[in-house]
Parts: sequence; structure tokens; C-alpha cells
Amino acid sequence: MNLICNLFSSLFPTLEGSAADRDREQAIDSSIRFAVLGLVKGSVFWLLISSVLGLVVSIKLHSPDYLGDSEFLTYGKVYPAFWNALVFGWLFNAGLACCAWILARLSGRPSGNSGLLAISSGAWNVAVVIGLIGIFRGELSPYRMLEFPSYAAPFLFAAFGGIGLWIVLTFKARAYRSAFASQWYALAGVFSFVWIYTVAQVMIFCLPAQGVFQAVVASWFKGNLFGLVIAPFAFATIYYLIPKALGQHIVGYRQAGIAFWSWIIFSSCSGLAALVSGPFPAWVASVGVVASFGLFLPITIFSMQFLSSLLASFSKIWDTISIRYIFYGVVALIASTLLIIVGSLRSVQDTVQFSQFDDGVRFLFLAGFAGMSFMGALYYILPRLLNKELASAGLADLQFWVQGLSIFVIALCAITGGIAHGSLLNGSTADAVAILQSTQSYLVLATIGYAMFLCGSMAYVVSFTWMLLAPRSEKEKSADLIKSAPELEYTPL
Amino acid sequence: MNRGPFIFLGVLIVVSLSWALTLVKPISEAGNLSAIGSGADRIPSLMTGAEHQGRETYQELGCVACHTQQVRAVSGSDVERGWGERQTVALDYIDQSPVFTGDNRFGPDLTNVGARRPDVDWHLLHLYNPQITSPGSNMPPYGFLFETRQIVGEASERALDLPQAFAVAPGYEVVPTRRAEALAAYLASLNISYEIETAPSPEKLSYK
Repeated sequence: MNLICNLFSSLFPTLEGSAADRDREQAIDSSIRFAVLGLVKGSVFWLLISSVLGLVVSIKLHSPDYLGDSEFLTYGKVYPAFWNALVFGWLFNAGLACCAWILARLSGRPSGNSGLLAISSGAWNVAVVIGLIGIFRGELSPYRMLEFPSYAAPFLFAAFGGIGLWIVLTFKARAYRSAFASQWYALAGVFSFVWIYTVAQVMIFCLPAQGVFQAVVASWFKGNLFGLVIAPFAFATIYYLIPKALGQHIVGYRQAGIAFWSWIIFSSCSGLAALVSGPFPAWVASVGVVASFGLFLPITIFSMQFLSSLLASFSKIWDTISIRYIFYGVVALIASTLLIIVGSLRSVQDTVQFSQFDDGVRFLFLAGFAGMSFMGALYYILPRLLNKELASAGLADLQFWVQGLSIFVIALCAITGGIAHGSLLNGSTADAVAILQSTQSYLVLATIGYAMFLCGSMAYVVSFTWMLLAPRSEKEKSADLIKSAPELEYTPL
Repeated sequence: MNRGPFIFLGVLIVVSLSWALTLVKPISEAGNLSAIGSGADRIPSLMTGAEHQGRETYQELGCVACHTQQVRAVSGSDVERGWGERQTVALDYIDQSPVFTGDNRFGPDLTNVGARRPDVDWHLLHLYNPQITSPGSNMPPYGFLFETRQIVGEASERALDLPQAFAVAPGYEVVPTRRAEALAAYLASLNISYEIETAPSPEKLSYK
């Protein structure tokens, strides 16, 4: 145990905090403040947009006449717009903001080229806007997470290239020779996205594969986008936040390497499990099922590491707002990964295939695991970045409960509703309209969930804007504010 | 694990292996099929120009969000539902780019909707307002694909024959736009009832 503690303190020489370290941390923060704040602003904006779109989508599902007169707002367009705004808008911005800040802090040096990050993250948001306008104009492709029209792809690619380059340069310029798990994951996410996005664009749009194989490529891309890009950004955040905000080393950190490589290996194929029983080569789906089962290995290590570390300081979880979000994220990670594994089973697929089940699991994974982790990290990062205290602890608290509950409700409705819908659709010859009528209550309940999610997002927008605009108090103006990490955290009276 | 190039190479190798095994290998093995026969007997059958336009409208409106175009004979109850007589296979899709295999069935599968509903007028009514043809459906109405206009002189022969409950004001008629007609023609053309020997069907599976 001593060895691990020594390793830990060598990785985090600044945990104890001294005047020199504080000055250096402030120098790092001020060097990237503009660029990271830009990413955070983007994430707040897209969270609000995707919450509104999510509510519209869920209302349209049970009330088809709602906004039915507008060609720009048919369900078939709002649904992909919602998921793309959620992933490429909210989660990419929030995840890259967290990773950029964490990498800059871990590298131990002020960044000399944050202009690159600022410009390319701005370009990224412009590219997402172009893509969404394309969807609403009807230039969408029918593949999940690749709906953006192909003219948006070069912009997305170039913008991500700039962000990725900055992350690699920051890693390369690090002051310490050692690298922490957060750095591995951030780099892996960047490398993977460049590779899988190139493959998907070339094999579907530039030199299209024949017929159904385009759908195989799209399924591969979707699985890898979530497993090899979004999830690594969230892992990078969790690995950094637990020791920093909790003052507690990661239990079993030595296994992090196994978890890292097994996660990369198995999630690089697990997305293909969705192709079962279709007009696709059967063995491709089988590779996906085997790979999904392989996820048991990394998820066991993650559960062990994260839960043990969190529970070792259990009383602090509820007192520290950012760690409370991380705790939710870890629980959602375990639950959704287990559902992915079980859902890949042939017998389960026979029941839930083509139902909302997959959307529910996906929402739990993306919003519950990645989204909540990023949100918690931002509540830790923003006070340090802005040198201000949280504007309103009560608002952050409210947001946690509202958003946490709404993600649970939405995922539960989609998963149980999907099982109810799928078992009748795949296992009987009952009339399709009558089946959908019988699951109406799940759809209505999900709308309540999305309405709550929007309320939570608005609380976040208010909380963020308030903090951004509020003038610094006398106490905040003195450098002493960044004295030691835990003091800035919200603690209830 | 302390060096960037090591992580870069590791991720590159893992993702490339996954790409080579699950994408390149199946595509090089089975991704180069060609049609059987030619002319009217061609398998899969060719689409007309109007049907192609309808296919584009299908893509623009995002119909794939709720409708699949794949029939499963080895599992599920697609065949019992009458959505098809055999499993769809890769050969059925070789002319299509992009493919609308889809992954959600809020609505029924449409692979063979032309066999179930060959009548273009049914599709036009259904698109104008699904409640006319399928009461209780969750499908949104696509009224914007139609034009409600005053009858000047003689009524158009293309005007929809709306039932009493959905009728528009007297002196007015609802006429489908070209996009609506193309989309309805495309839907009515969806039919893969030609025989493919290698495609599994319940009869073939029961011999095993």
C-alpha cells in the first residue's frame, strides 16, 4: 500500500499545496482560461439545445400532431438532431473542456499555444451548427450518429484535428516524465476519434461499401464513438477527480493498465452486437456479442477501483458536489455496461430488438455516465478557472437531484417500455398500432422525464451564467482563494 | 504507459485490427455481389425514376427513425406478421446507397409494404393523415407534402378522396405534391417477393 501511496504522491506532487504550487497552478489556469471557458460555454449551450430537442422528440412520440405542420420538425429530423446535439454538442464540448483542463494541470506547465485550442473549439461548434442545419434541411443520412450531411464532415474533422493536436502537444510538453491514467484515456479518445471518423466517412460516403455493409460500418462507428471516444473522456475525468476532490488515492491503481487496454480492445467491436438476425453476416454480430461479454473484465476493475475509492470516503460523497456527480456517473457506468452486456445476448435481442431498449441504455451511458461525470468535473474546474466560488450551492444541489432523477426516469421508461414493446412486437402477431397504444404510458412518463431534464439544464445554465457574470468579491480577488482544493467545494451548512 | 507514441500505437493497432476483422474481411468476402438476371427478371428488381425520387424524400424526412427495412426469418415474428416470406439478405440491397435497414420499429417494417399495400392512393391518404387509414397510429401527418387549394373550374383528378370526418371546406380540394406522389410510388414499389435460393425462410429452416 505504501508503494501505491508513493506512486500517487509522485503523480500528484501538488496535492498538499504550497505557495509556489498555487502560483504555478494559477499560471496554468490563466493560460488556458479563454479556450476552456469557450468549450464550457459551448457545452452549456448544447446541453440546453439538446434538452429542448429531447423534450420535443418525446412529445412527438405519443402526440404525433405536435408541431406536425412543419417540414423542418418531423420526428425523423428532430430525433437525429437531438442525439447529435447531445453527443457532438454537449458531450464533446464538456468532455474536451474537462480533458483539456486536466491535461494542462497534469502537464505542470502553462500552455503556450492555447490559441489553437480556442480557435479549433470554436470551429468545432460552428461545424456542429452546420451539421444540425443540414439535418433540419433534410440532407441527413440514415445512419445513427452519422446523420450530419457529408459537407459538414471536413469541418468537424479539421476542428477536431486542431483540438487533438493541442491535447497531444500539451501531453508532450509535460513537466513530469510519468503519465497518469487520465492522460492515457484523453490521448486514446483523441486518436480513436480521428481513426474511426475517417473510416466511417470513407467507407460510407467517399468510397461507399456495397449495400448493407454501409450499415455494418455505421454500427461499428456508433459503438466506437461511445466506447472509444466519449467513455475515455469520462474515464479521464473520473480518474482525475476522485483523487483530487476526495483526497483519496484510486484503490487498485496498479490494475488501471489492464482496465485501459481491455476496455479499448473489447469496446472496439462491441457495437456490432446490434446487427444480430439482420441481413448482415451472422459471424460479425457474434464477434460483437463476444466483445460485449469481454467488457466484464474492464467493468469489474472499474467498479472495484471507483467504488472502493469513493466508498472509502463515503461521508465526503454527499458533502462534495462534484464527487456526488461522479458517484452518479460511476453507478450509471456500471448499470449501463451491464445492460449492454446482457442486451447483446441473442435471447434478449430476440425480445428487445428494434425497440426503445437500446435508446434507454444509450441515454443512461451517455447522459448518466459521461454527462454527469463531466458536469461534476466542471463544478470542480469552474471555481478554479474563474477564481470565483460557486454562485449558488443550492442551485447546483437542485440540478443534481433534478437531472439525476430525470436521467433515471428516462432510461427506466425507455428500457422497460422497450421490453414491453419488443416482447409483443417480436413475439406475437398483435396489431402494431395496438401494441404501441399499450406502451403509451411509458412514452408519456418519458416526456415527464425529459421535462425534468430540461429544468435541470436550465438550473445549470443559470448557475453557470451567474458565476460567469458575478463580480469577484474582495475575498475572491486575493490569491488566497485557491488555497487548497477541498475548501472551495460546496459543503452544506 | 508513460509515452504517448506507445498509447498511439496501441490504440492504432487495436482499432485497426477491429476494422480489418469486422469490416474489411466481410466486405472483401461478401461485399461484391452482382445482380442475377437482367431486365424484368432481374434480382433485385430495378426502380423507376419516380420511385428513386420517392426514395430521396424517404431519406429527407427521416422515415428510417421509425421504420426498418429488413425481415428476419430466423428469429422474431416478422414472417407470421406477414411482413415478408423470407429473410432479407445482402443481395436484396446491392443497388441501394444508403440502405434503410434501420434499428427502430415504432412503425411496421416496410421491406414488403408494396406487397401488402399495392395501392398508391392508400399511401397518399396514409401520408396525408395516418388517422384516416390506421386510427390510433403514432405516425405524424405529412400534410406539408399536400396542397389544399380552391377548386377552380373542374376538380383535379389527382385530388385525395377524403372520408367525411377528414374533409376540407367545401369548394376546396387536397392535391398531393410531386414529392408526395413520388414517395407513395416508392412505398408501393417496396416488394422483394422474388425468390433467392440462399435466403432462409421458415420452410427452409424447418427442414434442418
